[in-house]
Amino acid sequence: MSKSNSDPVLACNGLTVGYSNTPILRDIHCTFEQGQFISLLGPNGAGKTTLLRTLSRHLPPLSGSVAVMGRELQAMPALDLARIMAVVLTNKISPPLFSVYEFVALGRYPHTNYLGTLNFHDKESILQSLQAVHAANLASRPFSDLSDGERQKVLVARALAQEPKLLLLDEPTIHLDLKHRVEVMSILRDLCRTKGITVIASLHDVDVAAKVSDQVALIKDSSVQHYGAPEEVLTQQAVTTLYDFDKAEFNSRLGGIELRSDGNSGKAFVLAGMASGSHVYRMLAKKGFSFATGVLHTNDLDFFVADSLGGTCITVPAMETINGTATAKAHEQLAQCDVVIDCGFALGNHNMANGELLQTALEMGKPLFSLRTPDAGKKLNTQNGNYIQLKNVAELITTLDNYLPGKQHGLKTAGPAHMKEV
Amino acid sequence: MTTSEQTLSIARGFPAMRRQSTVFLLLVMTTLAMMVLNIGIGSIEYTPQQIWQVLFDQTNDKIAHNIIWNIRLPRAVAAIFGGAYLAAAGLLLQIFFRNPIVGPYILGISSGATLMVSFVMLTSVTVGITVFQPFMNTLAAFIGAYTVMMIVLAIASKIRGIITLLIVGLMMGYLCGAVTAILTALAEKEKIKGFVLWQLGSFSGFKWDEIGLLLFLGGAVLILLFFQSKPLNAFLLGEEYAASMGVNIKRFRMLILLCACLLAGMVTSMAGPVAFIGMAVPHMARLSFATSDNRILIPGACLMGACVSSLCDLLARTILAPVELPLSAITAFFGAPIVIGLLLKRRVKL
Repeated sequence: MSKSNSDPVLACNGLTVGYSNTPILRDIHCTFEQGQFISLLGPNGAGKTTLLRTLSRHLPPLSGSVAVMGRELQAMPALDLARIMAVVLTNKISPPLFSVYEFVALGRYPHTNYLGTLNFHDKESILQSLQAVHAANLASRPFSDLSDGERQKVLVARALAQEPKLLLLDEPTIHLDLKHRVEVMSILRDLCRTKGITVIASLHDVDVAAKVSDQVALIKDSSVQHYGAPEEVLTQQAVTTLYDFDKAEFNSRLGGIELRSDGNSGKAFVLAGMASGSHVYRMLAKKGFSFATGVLHTNDLDFFVADSLGGTCITVPAMETINGTATAKAHEQLAQCDVVIDCGFALGNHNMANGELLQTALEMGKPLFSLRTPDAGKKLNTQNGNYIQLKNVAELITTLDNYLPGKQHGLKTAGPAHMKEV
Repeated sequence: MTTSEQTLSIARGFPAMRRQSTVFLLLVMTTLAMMVLNIGIGSIEYTPQQIWQVLFDQTNDKIAHNIIWNIRLPRAVAAIFGGAYLAAAGLLLQIFFRNPIVGPYILGISSGATLMVSFVMLTSVTVGITVFQPFMNTLAAFIGAYTVMMIVLAIASKIRGIITLLIVGLMMGYLCGAVTAILTALAEKEKIKGFVLWQLGSFSGFKWDEIGLLLFLGGAVLILLFFQSKPLNAFLLGEEYAASMGVNIKRFRMLILLCACLLAGMVTSMAGPVAFIGMAVPHMARLSFATSDNRILIPGACLMGACVSSLCDLLARTILAPVELPLSAITAFFGAPIVIGLLLKRRVKL
């Protein structure tokens, strides 16, 4: 970790990777600095693994070059490289009769003598590696008995025992449950922060990548299309193009992916605001409804979610009182809807107009499903309207299913599977 | 750092080490005991004391001297080295293919060696150079073994999978067997008898120059292998991990295959094809030493192989004495069930 070394940990110069004269990625120029977390993102088959295999010297580059700490990768002696670079691969390995400790000890390979005898420093390093991945308690367990998540952590520990400056991981979180997915990612991030290790990983979860990476490389159509900080690179547009999203959208502000509906179950108008509507939108999209919503302020969480889900949003700028133009648009949408949903938002000066919209909906004779508390509901004039009081979203789901029986639902039965509250 | 380093190293290291030294000691003693039995038991029985006297020249019994020095001792020593080398070759192949049910016999390597040896023994190629008989046979066996190895390897690299290897090995065995059969059919009568006896597999009739070759060439290979146990261990994680840890894969692969073929070919050329020891013994060693660490397994499997093949040889000689059973008939009896058992347990990955 000497600061004097000005060479980047890894640098690709006009690198073309692929298998035996079939280039998969062309002309890559990237530098990877010390202590950075770099994610390779892209659809399956884009070439993430091929790139990683080239960087780890399992594949020769078709053209161009890779420099490791300023040295030409292809010319480095295997042991020198092993002291700088360690890998975690996807192939399932299950060496028999290895304890976790012995398995991790294999990572000491480039540091031990010709018989692989472990000295005090080696043992300390093995233990530290196990601790770094929170797996010291697994040390005496047989390697073949580990769960997928534990195994992945131990694989990382083995790589760490090499005391590398650079760690390459191919799909480190694939096949892992959520707990281990989160744990492995936070372990990797800690390695960058505390040990100054450069981590390069191919990842599937764009939302996770956005949250942990210092740099992301978007790989598609035989090239690295974007390379830079995720805050810059991972725009909604870039992610949609990267994965050819049709019915989904990545929202960098929400930091996640929203799944849009095909909209053939019917159309709902959602009266929401102040984050009261986000889970209702998602539920509607899940059920295949299209929806319009309003009137929302442009700083409202509901707006970001509804927009990502492809709902029609009627908005006014942040901090402004809802005006006549917006209400007029809302009236228009309201008229086209099959049902109206009131998310039970609080009413104040800024959104008084939304309260009036509720009345309008009732006057239009639209069925109004309300999540408002019964007390708050009483304040509305509900006598001559189709006002349906609901206790929670679960009840809303069941009611919606029964209310539109003729429409095409994904699932017709309103069983317990739908009762999950978001 | 307040680590539990000491507790850990105690927890890991010592009981395992104690167990391993015990197993080593037991194996050494059993092997020695088997050797004494092998020398002592036969048409004329000798007590350990008599054997001692003959070996250290304290008796004038010419017959005993002759039987022990020229028949029993070479055979006992050959069984020990043959078993050890086959086991080591099997261990190497199992690591190389990362497949627990391979061995020189199963992969057809022994058949390849047999074929080439039959070529030397049955045709007139060797006329005039019979002086080099053991060397000639060993060289032929090695060439045969290596050729088959390369063919199996070429096919295995195209189609991955444990069963593929088994089938390819089996087919190579059939092919080599077919050619050997043709050679036998065409050969002169007086040459056939010796060849057929050899082909049944036996440690009998070893000459001291053959033993010398076995000892020095094989010993050199074993020592070389022992110092390769570190990369062999790394290889247990697969070629890609091994490469990433600093193993020079190309050179190493070459070395391992050469050593395996040399060991298996050498034994086959002298003792004939011996079934299953190369496959079964590494498993027995792994289980009794409870480790995959090749620093322990290489000597361990050799000892275990020596022990098992001595036992099998003893059984072959004594079960239906004076009729001697083919060695492979005995070894197959405990080798084949192990293959089937491994397949049934689906412990197909190494």
